[in-house]
Amino acid sequence: MKNHLGPLAFLLVLIAFPLAVRDPYYQHLMILVLMWVAIGSGWNLIAGFTGQVSFGDAAFFGTGAYTAGLLAHKLGMSAWWGLGLGGIFAVIIAFPFGWICFRLRGAYFALATLALNEVMRHTATIWESLTEGMVGILIMQTFVSKIPYYYIALAIAVVSLISVQVVMSSRWGYYFVSIREDQDAAESIGIDTHYYKMVSLCLAAYLTGLAGSLYMNYMGFIDPTIVFSLHDISIMAILVGIVGGVGTVYGPAVGAFIMVAVSEVFRTGGFGLLEKLTAATGSPVMVLVTKYIKEAHVLTFGLLVIFVILFLPNGVVGGWRKSRRSH
Amino acid sequence: MEVFVQTLVAGVLKGGLYALIGIGMTLIMGVMGIINLAHGQMMMVAMYLTYVLFHYLGIDPYMALFVSMPSLFLLGMFIQRFLLNPLMKVESILPENQVLMTVGIAMVLTEIARFIFTSNYLSVQTSYSTKAWYVGEISFSAALCVAFAFAALLSAGLFGFLVKTDLGRSIRAVSQDNEAAQLMGIDSERIKIITMGIGAALVAAAGTLLLPIYYLFPDIGGPFTRKAFVITILGGLGSTVGAIFGGVTLGLAEAFGATYIGMDYEDMVGLIIFILVLLFLPGGFKRLTKV
Amino acid sequence: MKRMRFGVVLVLVLVPAAALVGLNPVQAAEEPIKVGVVLPLTGEQAKFGEIEKNSFLMGVEEINKAGGVNGRPIKLIIEDDMGKADVGRSAVEKLISRDKVVMLTGGYSSSVTYAICAVAQQRKTPFLVTTGSADKITEQGWEYVFRLNPPVSEYPKALNAFLQEVVKPQTVAVLHENTLFGQAGSQEFAKQCEETGIKVIVKEGYEHGAVDFKPLLIKVKAAKPDLVYMISYVMDAALLMRQSKELNFNPKLFVGGGAGFTLPEFVKNAGEAAELVFSATLWTPSVPYPGAQKYYDDYMKRYGSPTEYHGAEAYASVYVVEDVLKRAKDLTPASIREALLKTDKMTVFGPVKFTSYDKKTQQNSLPTYLVQWQKGQLETVWPRNVATKPYVYPVPAWSQR
Repeated sequence: MKNHLGPLAFLLVLIAFPLAVRDPYYQHLMILVLMWVAIGSGWNLIAGFTGQVSFGDAAFFGTGAYTAGLLAHKLGMSAWWGLGLGGIFAVIIAFPFGWICFRLRGAYFALATLALNEVMRHTATIWESLTEGMVGILIMQTFVSKIPYYYIALAIAVVSLISVQVVMSSRWGYYFVSIREDQDAAESIGIDTHYYKMVSLCLAAYLTGLAGSLYMNYMGFIDPTIVFSLHDISIMAILVGIVGGVGTVYGPAVGAFIMVAVSEVFRTGGFGLLEKLTAATGSPVMVLVTKYIKEAHVLTFGLLVIFVILFLPNGVVGGWRKSRRSH
Repeated sequence: MEVFVQTLVAGVLKGGLYALIGIGMTLIMGVMGIINLAHGQMMMVAMYLTYVLFHYLGIDPYMALFVSMPSLFLLGMFIQRFLLNPLMKVESILPENQVLMTVGIAMVLTEIARFIFTSNYLSVQTSYSTKAWYVGEISFSAALCVAFAFAALLSAGLFGFLVKTDLGRSIRAVSQDNEAAQLMGIDSERIKIITMGIGAALVAAAGTLLLPIYYLFPDIGGPFTRKAFVITILGGLGSTVGAIFGGVTLGLAEAFGATYIGMDYEDMVGLIIFILVLLFLPGGFKRLTKV
Repeated sequence: MKRMRFGVVLVLVLVPAAALVGLNPVQAAEEPIKVGVVLPLTGEQAKFGEIEKNSFLMGVEEINKAGGVNGRPIKLIIEDDMGKADVGRSAVEKLISRDKVVMLTGGYSSSVTYAICAVAQQRKTPFLVTTGSADKITEQGWEYVFRLNPPVSEYPKALNAFLQEVVKPQTVAVLHENTLFGQAGSQEFAKQCEETGIKVIVKEGYEHGAVDFKPLLIKVKAAKPDLVYMISYVMDAALLMRQSKELNFNPKLFVGGGAGFTLPEFVKNAGEAAELVFSATLWTPSVPYPGAQKYYDDYMKRYGSPTEYHGAEAYASVYVVEDVLKRAKDLTPASIREALLKTDKMTVFGPVKFTSYDKKTQQNSLPTYLVQWQKGQLETVWPRNVATKPYVYPVPAWSQR
């Protein structure tokens, strides 16, 4: 029980968050964080725990988003049905893909996921009669207030974390890790590695698809370049995973918070702080600094990747745990 | 008939350029066993170099090869020495850390280019940018013909280098069995640094030759990285001859796809071939030709 | 215990974030009127975002120098959307809830504009769309969304008249980039062609940034269309024309659907291959509206680079904003909306008046123009009454240009 006290206390803080912080802008950022917790957990399951690095999370994310969007757009149903079906459709994409491509190992599997990502994006772009192509799908959001979205996102994030926790403490979890550590050894002691890789991929796809349908419902607008974006979704998912901590249950939660915060701090120039400084000092140097800092957000992401891989290869949570262990 | 022949010509010529991009990648993948997802971005750096030389010093892109190739050789060595080699000593859970590292490098290169040159489109206009030779009604783009000849020359040279010289033999040894090569007294870290440099120099040549007929912006690298790994998988790892085959095959597939199916499908064709080859012909053309 | 400490650390991380909430700006007594602007200032669309930003700033400076809105200056708060819908949405959320802007303007790419509109409508903040051109934006019946620029389906209005009266083509090939602008624009154009009895024999999209358009052009050439209509961004446009010339492909005329074909970079990159190419456009400095040429010259003088129709849209928008804020009873969203509805203002971009027609509501309706590259200069050739040079048609084959 003691082990769960920390997360539970933290959950209480999160439940109270929108009541304490009324500013919809911060609520919006927290919703994004919670969405990334789900995506990051999915990536961490297949890549961090099972060792099959995926560069194509956007394929599942986009499928989830398009499921929700098309339900509303084509069938006139509520896009909320997407929360039930988005994950399932993502699994429908993941299943044959994994079935075929799990013969590939390591980096080759990663390349195949990257190709899947691109194929899905092209398909959504070209298949105009179904997806509206680049015109995109627009739905009206159900709620004006952010609070309902916040709690739905929170529920999804909590479900993701709990399911990863449960899976990883079950027998499946041991199989996943053994595949990551040495696939041949796992095979030789009788683990059906292909089957368990499929299980892991489908679970990951489900969580990512779920986050995708949340995105559709919350944002109200999607097009192929948004939801099938290699940079903004697939690589961001990897960043959330590795910054937080590969192969740790709570790593993606920390990673999501850090990544959303970093990207927003840079986009807004330290929440407008830099601009205030510029206005206060009036120095032309500050004007330049502000301009560069605002433009530097992708650069920072890149540097962050290099830094984390070189010096914190197991992420914030993983590295922290490890350094404590060595004491 | 004219449509068919012109498509064929367009596909083969573009294939030559693709081959040039693929040769560097195949060497890097073959020796290091890692996928360099910053390959197209290195090409982008070479293209910016070429642009600067042309724009500010008036140096013709074909002469700029003598600057862009050595510069990228150094950049490649730097990346391998300080960013990729150290990773082998870092204890991490994921073996794909090196691939992720190249993603980070790609982002940094792109954004640095954006910092310096902004997102504007840049281009180099030379007398041969729009030049073409005609055989009957069929046109041959001059710049692409040069690129094709260059690709053939470079791969022949590289083939000779790998087979005949000591350094070339060491590179092949590391690519076949890293540990055994080390036991034989080969400094595999050094070999990897040099190989990365050569790979970067080769893609620099591709970029410099492409610039006169194309244009340049910071995000140009991504699509070429993707094409490069498709070519490499098609041709087989570490095979220079395979890279030529792979490049021409991809060029032809894209051209015929665009003419007979639709330009919409140009990129899809490549990706689908890629997945099919991974699954049904692992090892690529190299497996068929044994070169 | 481990987990517990871990939780504590997370809380510690959150505290500074919560502290930031307290940083809301203090409202001073004599505040300028805040207007929010969302534009792409970084990313691939930054070039046009920059032109629009400069034009907004130039306009607002002039307005404030002249006394602002009844003595109060206008303060533009410009946010970067990076060309991404979700970022645009974050930016608008911030503008409305933290900066408390009275109204919004800007909106460059259609997808971002779309996302912003939905927020503006929900939060009941009037939004004057400057550039986002997807038809659907003003077809949703949103009361708080007004659009200054014509929708993409109306870009070729002048071209259609020209085709009807002069060229009378039988067949057309439509090539477009796979973006919202390209896909929506080509669909609309193909529909209009079918209605006027022009047969669409090829209609094809391509991925922006293709190296080699020859396979596509070979196919189009074999189909022998009278007219080739292309919706392409500037570098693709230049490559398309260069490779058409290389393939010696001679339809009766090449027409660009706005976007890339009117920019100086197009003629720089396409070189001779740009000669006598037509393009639809929304604005040139020679349009018969007061101040258009002056705006162009002022911009050139101030920023040292030419401006184009996006800039004119932005410059016009800020004057509409001024006009609306002057006429509004107070600064509540409802009164500003009232004032927007009654807008009747002449700008450098043309007369602005929001009307409802077809499926569209609160949409400004403007004439468009046809331009042609003649000896490296962009000349307005249609409608006849504003033409700077007579059109060159029929267009001679490549070998005779």
